[in-house]
Amino acid sequence: MKIEILGTGCAKCNKTKEIVEKAVSETGIDAEVVKVEDFDRILAYGVMITPAVVVDGDVKIAGRVPGVDDVKKWITQ
Amino acid sequence: MTDKIIMADRIKCSCGSDNVAIFPCVGASNVGQISNKVAIELANKDVGTMMCTVGIGGHVPGLVKSAEGCDHIIVIDGCPLSCAKKTLEHACINVDKHIILTELDIKKDHDLNVTPDQVKDALKKVMDVL
Repeated sequence: MKIEILGTGCAKCNKTKEIVEKAVSETGIDAEVVKVEDFDRILAYGVMITPAVVVDGDVKIAGRVPGVDDVKKWITQ
Repeated sequence: MTDKIIMADRIKCSCGSDNVAIFPCVGASNVGQISNKVAIELANKDVGTMMCTVGIGGHVPGLVKSAEGCDHIIVIDGCPLSCAKKTLEHACINVDKHIILTELDIKKDHDLNVTPDQVKDALKKVMDVL
């Protein structure tokens, strides 16, 4: 599983990465967590506001920091 | 390089301030085209981030999620058909401010070549009601 954190390295983006890593750790899912700061790649997903989380190519949230439980739900579906 | 900087400016980081989205109808009439130009001007004035209304209609996930992540949604429709507002409602996105240009005393016709003066006049009227 590949989880992408889209954002420019701001506070909310960093917080989002922390939460995603926590959810991955607690569920024991084998996932690669990647930060994406390249605007072309962010725009390719149609994301207009950051942070955003993409799980295996599917945009799950944009403009908000997700909760740990939200991320757990996305990665265990 | 310049294009990339402009595009980067169009991706809004949600840190610090409320996320405001602006959705114009961009319909095939003078008022539809004016809605687009007015939305661009509002984005240039940092009133909000202009987003793709047709992408919402197409249920493009990144665009729908971006709209859902906004604190306030402004819709600018050219006429009372309210296509942009209906498009957002179909995607279950709540509209906070709905502006209809013909209700601001701008007459609808099918001339797509709008003038800078028409845009300037519409922008002033829209800014007055925001």
